[in-house]
Amino acid sequence: MARTVDVSLLRKIKQHGACETLDVSACFNCGNCTAVCPLAQDSTGFPRRMIRMAQVGMEPELLSSEDLWRCYACGECTETCPREADPAEFMAAARSYAIARYDFTGLARLAGSSTWGSLLVFALFSVLFSLLLINKENPGAQLPVFDFLPGWWIHAIGVVLFSIVGLSAVCGLGSMFFRFWIERRREGVNLRWSAFPGAVVSAITEAILHRRFRECDSEGNPTPHSTEPIYRQIWFIHATVMGGFLAMLLATSLDFLLKPIGSPATPLYPMRLLGAIGGIVCLYGLSLVLLRRLKAKDVPWRKSSFADWFFPVLLAATVLTGLVTEIVVYLPMNTVGHDIFFVHVVLAMDLVALFPLSKFAHAFYRTLALVLFSWRHAPAAQSVVADAQL
Amino acid sequence: MNMQIDSEYRPDAVVVGGGIAGLQSALDLADQGLKVLIVERQPSIGGHMIALSKVYPTLDCASCITTPKMSAAAHHENITILTNTEVKAIKSADGMHRVELLQKPTYVNFDKCIGCRQCEYACDSEYPDPFERGLGTVRAIAVPFTNAIPQKAILDAEHCGTCGTCARVCPTDAIEYDQQPRSLTIRTDAVIVASGFLLNDIHLKPQYNAHRNKNIIDSLTLERLLAPHGPYGRVLRPSDGKIPTSVAFVQCAGSRDESIGVPYCSRVCCMYAIKQAMLLSGSLPLADITIYYMDIRAFGKGYEQFYQNAKAMGINFARGKVARIEPVSSGDLSLHVESTEDALNPLQEHRHDLVVLAQGMIPGWNPTVDTPVTCASDGFVETPMLTAPTITNAPGIFVAGAAAGPKDIVDTIAEAGAAAMQVSQYLFQKRSPVLVG
Repeated sequence: MARTVDVSLLRKIKQHGACETLDVSACFNCGNCTAVCPLAQDSTGFPRRMIRMAQVGMEPELLSSEDLWRCYACGECTETCPREADPAEFMAAARSYAIARYDFTGLARLAGSSTWGSLLVFALFSVLFSLLLINKENPGAQLPVFDFLPGWWIHAIGVVLFSIVGLSAVCGLGSMFFRFWIERRREGVNLRWSAFPGAVVSAITEAILHRRFRECDSEGNPTPHSTEPIYRQIWFIHATVMGGFLAMLLATSLDFLLKPIGSPATPLYPMRLLGAIGGIVCLYGLSLVLLRRLKAKDVPWRKSSFADWFFPVLLAATVLTGLVTEIVVYLPMNTVGHDIFFVHVVLAMDLVALFPLSKFAHAFYRTLALVLFSWRHAPAAQSVVADAQL
Repeated sequence: MNMQIDSEYRPDAVVVGGGIAGLQSALDLADQGLKVLIVERQPSIGGHMIALSKVYPTLDCASCITTPKMSAAAHHENITILTNTEVKAIKSADGMHRVELLQKPTYVNFDKCIGCRQCEYACDSEYPDPFERGLGTVRAIAVPFTNAIPQKAILDAEHCGTCGTCARVCPTDAIEYDQQPRSLTIRTDAVIVASGFLLNDIHLKPQYNAHRNKNIIDSLTLERLLAPHGPYGRVLRPSDGKIPTSVAFVQCAGSRDESIGVPYCSRVCCMYAIKQAMLLSGSLPLADITIYYMDIRAFGKGYEQFYQNAKAMGINFARGKVARIEPVSSGDLSLHVESTEDALNPLQEHRHDLVVLAQGMIPGWNPTVDTPVTCASDGFVETPMLTAPTITNAPGIFVAGAAAGPKDIVDTIAEAGAAAMQVSQYLFQKRSPVLVG
């Protein structure tokens, strides 16, 4: 197939990077990054091939590549890169770019490539949710704003917005899957549907157990992180944030399903306890993340884009307001409780709405990428044929 | 060869460094009737070249080219050589340079020593031989190496057992345990900086694990293994003396790498690796030899043909920078590399029993020395004029060879001649201004 070199792709990806100094065009394709990577242990080649794809403008190949998401940003490639081309930051920028390309609304592009875009989307959502809540909580309130912005109107916007965001998430995943499917078929990879359930299981196992993530900090690999105690290693920090978040999600969902809304509960009520513990665990991880980004010493934390800050800060704020609410409802003089709870709910809604647009989107794109990787490398059916021939 | 001088001695030019660059420029100046002082930090002149096995692309014996030059310089009536001497400062004023020197004690009176080696034979203390890059040993009092010039014994105070045997056996009573460092200031009209290069450390990249395995060596160590008069007399690997069966050359191990602070190309590594691979295939006909490279820079006259010959000889060339070296069982090493030639199976692991790291050239000129000579950002002496590459920013101070930047022997000798020409022209103009005007 004839191919045209498209030099604009690299420029577009750079806009998603943590800083303008990301100089991935300095790469002379020596392959050091791939060979030093503790995770690239098979026939695939990242980050070098990804960089090469970006350099020559092979966008379909880049966006269809599950390898983009198999990197956990340990930073070993950047530490050892002979050209200081910062492959780790390139991979992060390329992932942000991919999120923007998978998303059809254009909001992810706005949020991922510019600080003001992010803030605009965030402010827009926050105002909307606040209005929505005020409107719902006080149906009879005589706020002047509702004179020209009727409540049902705001409510309808909310419904439409959540639908768009939800649709965007589904379409984003669909887009990733479709691109993968087209490219792998073109490459002649044999994808069998019978292997798909197994791939899903292995991806979810990996997502929960962080098995490959742990390789980033393994002994044989002299990263600056491998000497750290387990509770300070990157994979463990990620596990606490993810585990804490899942616990809170579970608690909230079960609360909603099992407990009558508004009914009082003791602090030791199982769902509430699960949520509180989840929140504390999650905050532990988030505080380490934010602290390291502030220190900016080791590679994965050295450069932070606005999106790198935005997601953990938003999540931390949500968790923190939630925990404070938990405490203040038991205080005798409860006057601020409502306000804090209000902020908590608005932030939580922001979090959900920004899910497919922010770095949060990695949660499902990465999981799908793990599924696609396992699917692609599932033991081929040919072995059965070979056995039959024997 | 005059080796004991005082501050009254007033040479026309001082050459800093007694390697091939310094020797060549000193000889070229001395042949014009100018008096030259060579200052050498090491116990012998000859520099790195005297330690090499053969030179590319002709595969001539390196000693056979260097020794006559060393000898010619040592016997030249216009050349004075100070070994074991460091330049502490160069101070320039009114067109004159005051070169401040520090002569380190050798604990042997060179006027009395006749190089008979009786002390060396009698000495009980041994330490890893610096000339053999730590392979093999040398006695605490010894002539530095077989073809060293001067052929005088030197006592290494750090490894001396102070038993007094050498003083007892010395037939000329040359041993002087009470020698002190001696400061010396020489006034001269011109200086040539020919301080050469140093090889950077094999431990620079922690991913190469050189501290965990003795079979990871640098290229100058392999030169000693390949030299006919080397430490073992044949090629054996250092950890256990096994004859290597699979040798890897890791190119750009110490150059072209921002992560170790050497972004530039050292220019010689591709060619000497090819040369060493050729020599190895001569001494180890059954060994597999692989050169891992990013690109082969065979830029000089006859170099590309040399490279093609090596390929035709069956030396493997694998494109890809080695990212990690892991020690595996029985002293062998596993190299991790992404092959940029094999699209289907790019990530590769190769096992070798000897690994040669092509370390980079870093400046031998110590920038802490108090001197008007300025260095560029890479640490090498700055040469502002493109059309006169031996002229520095300091009037009357010139530069030759690897002191000005990584360079091979051919280019170094050419530049040394050019520097000598610049000096004689400078002196001519300075002393006969009427003729020039």
